[in-house]
Amino acid sequence: MSEVLARQHRALTPEETEELLRDRLGDHVQRGMVEYGVFTLWIAPDGWLDAARRCHDERLLAYDMFDSLFGVDAREDGFDIVAILYSTSTGNRIALRTRCAGGREAPTCPSITEVYRGAEWMERETYDMFGIDFPGHPSLEPRILTVENFEGWPLRKDFRLASRVAKPWPGVKEPAELDEDGNPIQRVPGLGDAPGPYDLDKAMAEQAKAVNAPPAPAVEEPDGDAGEQETTETPAGGEPDRGGPEAGATTADATTADDAADDDGEDPAARAKARAEARRKKQAEARAAKAKERAEKAKQAREAADDGGSATSEDGEEDA
Amino acid sequence: MSDLDTAEEVRPGTAPGEGIAVEILGDGDFDTADMSLSIGPAHPATHGVFRVVLEMDGERVREARPVIGYMHRGFEKLAEHRDYRQIKALVNRHDWLSGFSNELGVALAVEKMMEFEVPERAQWIRMLIAEWNRILNHLMFIGSYAIELGAITPMFYAFREREDIQALLESATGGRLHFTYNQVGGLKIDLPKGFLAQSAQTSSLVRSRLPDYFDLVLGNEIFHGRTKGIGPLPTDVALSIGVTGPTLQATGLAEDSRVTEPYLKYADIDVEVPVGENGDAFDRFYCLLHRIRCSLDIIDQIHDAMPAGPVNSKLPKMVKAPEGATYVRTENPLGQLGYWLESDGGRTPWRLKMRTPSFSNVQAIPYLMRGQLLPDAISILGSVFFVVGDIDR
Repeated sequence: MSEVLARQHRALTPEETEELLRDRLGDHVQRGMVEYGVFTLWIAPDGWLDAARRCHDERLLAYDMFDSLFGVDAREDGFDIVAILYSTSTGNRIALRTRCAGGREAPTCPSITEVYRGAEWMERETYDMFGIDFPGHPSLEPRILTVENFEGWPLRKDFRLASRVAKPWPGVKEPAELDEDGNPIQRVPGLGDAPGPYDLDKAMAEQAKAVNAPPAPAVEEPDGDAGEQETTETPAGGEPDRGGPEAGATTADATTADDAADDDGEDPAARAKARAEARRKKQAEARAAKAKERAEKAKQAREAADDGGSATSEDGEEDA
Repeated sequence: MSDLDTAEEVRPGTAPGEGIAVEILGDGDFDTADMSLSIGPAHPATHGVFRVVLEMDGERVREARPVIGYMHRGFEKLAEHRDYRQIKALVNRHDWLSGFSNELGVALAVEKMMEFEVPERAQWIRMLIAEWNRILNHLMFIGSYAIELGAITPMFYAFREREDIQALLESATGGRLHFTYNQVGGLKIDLPKGFLAQSAQTSSLVRSRLPDYFDLVLGNEIFHGRTKGIGPLPTDVALSIGVTGPTLQATGLAEDSRVTEPYLKYADIDVEVPVGENGDAFDRFYCLLHRIRCSLDIIDQIHDAMPAGPVNSKLPKMVKAPEGATYVRTENPLGQLGYWLESDGGRTPWRLKMRTPSFSNVQAIPYLMRGQLLPDAISILGSVFFVVGDIDR
């Protein structure tokens, strides 16, 4: 679908673009570079507006589409402004970049709203996020994205991320903290310096540990006890067979198991084990009893069916 | 002040009631009072919390001032605290109707800086899901725009199709809104068995139902009356503001990064870009509707061309973009999405600028609404398709 966009001019290469702009703007053009397929041209802050105007008006460049404008924190050198322009006639893209005058304290950059209408909101956003002043802009206030009484400039690197102050990063390491070799990544102070876990978190962790504590370290002793209980309990488990309803048997069984455990001393693990053993046995017996019952019932049913079958056949004969 | 004997007959040329004579007694000059009218932040035509303050002169809009920022969540700051693999779960939330396309931009940017070779199949699958995502998004706007103009039925039609497509995408990605299916270097997981057959079936189903929309909305006389000639946007103004997507294509310029700067495998297939004539509300909607058909054409081509092979590549233990900066531009459903990714060589980006289509498109609203009547202002507000999360980020 190449015919969709008929190119009006031959697209200039980045070198030619730089040469052309250097011819028009002189020393205001600092340097150009192509990085990962993006052509970036550094402009002196004084020539910022002229550069934008040239890019827009120059017939060979014809950067008619305003893409975006934003700030970048340049550490102690202050802030950079990047404006991306695109030409629908040549298909070229350029990133104009300048370092704001005024350092970190009072950064300013000329506004390009008179060349590109779209710069109006983008510059308001940059002011809101970085506190960069744009002389020539119709009105940077009220702040476009944050609330009107917001204090500070959120995208500056010395502005700490509020959520990190309130609650630390749940991972082991802050993503921005160390590289894989364990070397601290160069960064501005305040980034990734969130405090450790809350005292409350620590207290809760202690509490949880206490509740879920593993059983006492005595491991061999309860084993012996359990063996004894097994032998003592066998007759107790056998009791319900000899008579009495099953419901009564369970309580009796449980009490005997408990008593047995109590006799063996206050070892909770052994007691639990004994109780579990008793329950298992009881269930097995109940299962056996039920199976027996079922078998009997089945037998009765079979007999009944045989009787019924003969009865129906008799009925049938009567009907006939 | 007025002479009631002189009656003037007005016949609006573009309105549907061309035969209806509107009689204005006198010279049509009335005393009006100025008033300030606030639409939103919670108005059904704003898809979220977006506010437009209208300075009215009688029923005519003298000035429109959009007020944004109600949904600002600081994604750009948050992204500076996440590593490159975590960012994709963050960016698929700013435009919640096109989650996959958002992830795609970040993945492409990181891959570009790391000089990563993405397997062929992964690139085709990315295109396939991105096009389905585009249709999902457009269907939503078809339904909601009709609602803003007072027609509720198209919404039901749109959601019938949306449900089918979402079920399809859910089977592959596990998500219905935030897919998180992309990875740096490829995709999370391959498509499930039988996905392509299901996709082809859904494609033909949606295609067979498309005429419903054309008849229901584009064939509707009231719709014509509400949108034709309302809020025209000239191409040069649109470009100067930075308007992209269907809103720009409606002005008659076939600017679409799938065609002019192909990424993934868009260079290997035919991409049709529907264009309008004068950039009014009708043309914007027309482009949006036809983009669904074009996306279905693309999807059918992808089905035929889908190669076999792996869908992701082995990543290094630590994903770190080398020092430098890059800009990646993709065609999101609503327009051009750009990510400026600047890295200082660390594990997190130094700066991730999200150039979102809605932010730029909404800037055209003051221009479009100036001098319009109040009911037309609603028609314009809906026809500049935007998602509030995409404006405020």
